[in-house]
Amino acid sequence: MIFVIQRMDKTIILSLLGLLTLSLFVLYAAVHDGDIAVFQKQVIFWCLGFIGFIGICFVPLRLMGLLAWPAYIIALLSLALVPLIGDVHMGARRWLDLGVVAFQPSEMMKWALMLMLAHWFASREPNTWPNFLIPLLMVMLPAALIVIQPDLGTTLVLLFAAIAMLIASGFAWRWIFAAIAASPLVLYILWHNMHGYQKQRVLTFLDPQSDPLGAGYHVIQSSIAIGSGGFWGKGYLQGTQGRLHFLPEQHTDFIFAILAEEGGLITVTVLLVLYGILISRMLTIAAHAHSRFGALLTTGIASIFMLYAFVNIGMVSGILPVVGVPLPFISYGGSALLTMLGALAIVMRVAIESRGNIPWQRPSSPLS
Amino acid sequence: MFSQLNIRHRFEGRMWFFQVSMFVLLLILLLRMVHLQLLQHDGLMLQAENNRLNIVPILPTRGTITDRFGIGLAVNHISYRLTMIPERIENMDALITQLTSMMQWTPKQVKRIKKRIKRSRKDRPVLLHDKLTWKQIAPLSARLHRFPGLNVQAGTHRFYPYKELTSHLIGYLSLARNTDLERGFLRNEYIGRSGLERSFEKRLHGTLGSQQEEVDAHGRRIAVLHQTPSSMGEDIRLSLNVELQKVAAKVMGKRTGAVVVMDIHSGEVLTLLSTPGIDTNQFTLGLEQKQWQAWLNDDQRPLLNRTTQAAYPPASTWKLVASFAGLRQNVPLANGSTQCKGFIQLADRKMRCWKRRGHQKVNMHNAIMHSCDVYFYELGDQLGMQHLSDEAKLWGFGEATGVPLPPESRGHLASDMQHLQNGRERHWSRGQNMITAIGQGQTTVTPLQMARFAAAIANGGDILRPHLEIGKAPEIIRHVDVKPEYLKRIQKSMYDVANKIGGTAFYRLRHAAWKIAGKTGTAQVISMSQDDDDKKDKAPEIDKHKDHAWFMGYAPYKNPKVAFAIIVEHGGHGGSAAGPIAKAMVKLLAAQEKKQ
Repeated sequence: MIFVIQRMDKTIILSLLGLLTLSLFVLYAAVHDGDIAVFQKQVIFWCLGFIGFIGICFVPLRLMGLLAWPAYIIALLSLALVPLIGDVHMGARRWLDLGVVAFQPSEMMKWALMLMLAHWFASREPNTWPNFLIPLLMVMLPAALIVIQPDLGTTLVLLFAAIAMLIASGFAWRWIFAAIAASPLVLYILWHNMHGYQKQRVLTFLDPQSDPLGAGYHVIQSSIAIGSGGFWGKGYLQGTQGRLHFLPEQHTDFIFAILAEEGGLITVTVLLVLYGILISRMLTIAAHAHSRFGALLTTGIASIFMLYAFVNIGMVSGILPVVGVPLPFISYGGSALLTMLGALAIVMRVAIESRGNIPWQRPSSPLS
Repeated sequence: MFSQLNIRHRFEGRMWFFQVSMFVLLLILLLRMVHLQLLQHDGLMLQAENNRLNIVPILPTRGTITDRFGIGLAVNHISYRLTMIPERIENMDALITQLTSMMQWTPKQVKRIKKRIKRSRKDRPVLLHDKLTWKQIAPLSARLHRFPGLNVQAGTHRFYPYKELTSHLIGYLSLARNTDLERGFLRNEYIGRSGLERSFEKRLHGTLGSQQEEVDAHGRRIAVLHQTPSSMGEDIRLSLNVELQKVAAKVMGKRTGAVVVMDIHSGEVLTLLSTPGIDTNQFTLGLEQKQWQAWLNDDQRPLLNRTTQAAYPPASTWKLVASFAGLRQNVPLANGSTQCKGFIQLADRKMRCWKRRGHQKVNMHNAIMHSCDVYFYELGDQLGMQHLSDEAKLWGFGEATGVPLPPESRGHLASDMQHLQNGRERHWSRGQNMITAIGQGQTTVTPLQMARFAAAIANGGDILRPHLEIGKAPEIIRHVDVKPEYLKRIQKSMYDVANKIGGTAFYRLRHAAWKIAGKTGTAQVISMSQDDDDKKDKAPEIDKHKDHAWFMGYAPYKNPKVAFAIIVEHGGHGGSAAGPIAKAMVKLLAAQEKKQ
């Protein structure tokens, strides 16, 4: 027990605590004059998440490898079930109701796919056709199932994460560029399979002012919130855009606007630096991992964190289309927080197992 | 696991690629934040403030208009108005449907409301329904929180208790039009369109207040941040005597015409009646296009203010002007006399006196009293057109009186020379001079000009600017120089018109409460010829072929106070048609004076 805790990576713990602090302050600001229960729930989720986090730190990485195939197949099967028995929510069929809890198979698939690809490349040579095409199939199958839900955001995250795994697994750049070059074709197929409202979202992204009271409204309002914050921000609980409900979903996907409005550029910089430290540290852990499986898995998780942060902040500030992606560790949402903490715990386990290899750490204590 | 060293090396290299990519992505985000939060900060801050702040105008209460005794002529009634800010409405059609059933709008109203919403700015309140009683608005008012963007305001609306009686004088209001918006008015402000409501618009209107509110995204008010109250417009007390106007209207009945009464010293107007009138309350209640068309097309022209906008031939009242001209020019007949045989022969034309048998020997006094045409034919012949027109100009004819009721007709005086159609000029014929002297011909005057003329005769020659505000200092436009004994002669003649057997108004006015001095007139309707007599009976109520009846004068004869001019269109003879109105008014004035 002490062995494990002593070997935990301090940098990750500290940056996570920093994000936790920011998260609670911002979430309170977002809901303080409305549904305060949201804040209380999130505190409980953090507590549960930390318990789970410590638990996962004790699970040997080998066990994770064994889980790869079953997790991928279960995720794929539940994805296939969605069009048949899924719940329709906001015009899209994404949820699967298990009686006790409802969950999004697409959310599960992201992590299962990372696990699967890490497992696949852990013991296989890159730059061979079978080892290129089979993983590609592993990616395209769930991607196709998710795009018809339709869930554009998750599909794109899935595809980008897969490309990141290809890069990490050591494929020569020409293989990777070939995969990327095929993307216009993918985009074409995507566009044809999109629903009207999705096309509208993309078009609105290209010119938000074209429909200031319709779909572009949210992005305009969040840009106003961010910009009006200025360098120092309007002050804690002093933001007007959030308090007067000009921001949509201000405690979930658009929570960054609250942070930027009340905290200003200074707080935004703190957040970006925290993300930078966290992800950079994960990549360092990956680079020095004892096992190739652990290294690849860590890289995949780091890519997903980075993609989430970039896509979320990008959409709220109007440089990317609006797709439903949470801001890691900050947005309200129990399942997202729990899965991310779980994923971070896996990275922590990699760090624990690779201890000694990773620079900037004190030598093992006599107890170890 | 890492059997091949080169794979491990490559992996470490790839990790550096990831580190750099991450750094680049974070840098992109940071640059975007710098762009928004530093470079665009000012503009976006302004937009955030615009989002948050709502300036709600507070409409001022319009000043009231009362008569000289404080009786309300234009007052404010409390009512409720329903407004909407279109950009705050999520589903406009659903809301309109809901409101239609709640407020029981007719399809026509709905159409008009939709049109108004379409034409208005989306971020400003648009008036949906005005002048609602509490009973009408109560059901909606209780549920107002469920309708973001809607607002109910308590306010006032204009009410004219005397309706038709004062419609031309007081005028009416209507909602601001596009041209008014350019002048800074709001679309739901009412603006005076005619009469005193228009002339005194600046004083009556008051100044707009405003309230700065914080609103949320649904347009709901969160807090009031700052308030500048509106200030009420000025209350204006007129010189009008509405009881007097009522009496005049009562005797006038359904006939069309005009009555003006003014104070001979101050120029205060006591009565300014034009019949028929319109119910001006309909403008503020939302005038139907159909009603407006009906007024426009009505033969009786109810929209016309006959006291100032209609010019009539002065008929025999003009004989007073001719008399003054004769005395001023000292023509032989002015101090002499002539024989009236019932007509005068002018070349091959026979110019008739109204009395076929003739007046026999007449001097100026008798000619005025009996209104002898022949005497004035000859006087006019001796004077010529120029002297007649010059004299009329002195007494304020042919020019606007300057009463604050634009637009005002100036009437028409014949110019010195006759303008022919081919562009040349020539002297008027003798016949034209004669006709003009008895007030037929080309001359036209307004009833207000005529009343002012009567006032000048009574006050010794001061031409006053008629005005409508009590206590306002009199403004003398000019003093007409006329020898006191001449003035006395004319005044005496006018007295005998009403008080001496044979006077043209004697039978109607001999028992008047005050001794009246006046002059009757019977203006021939130009289209009428002697042969049309057989058509006379077709419209018994208002006979379009009957002459216009004039009566002008002042009272009391000794120590005069008021001057008046009365015209009854198609009323027939001046004394019998217009005289009773003067009598009734004088009776009331005498009674009012006794009370004080």
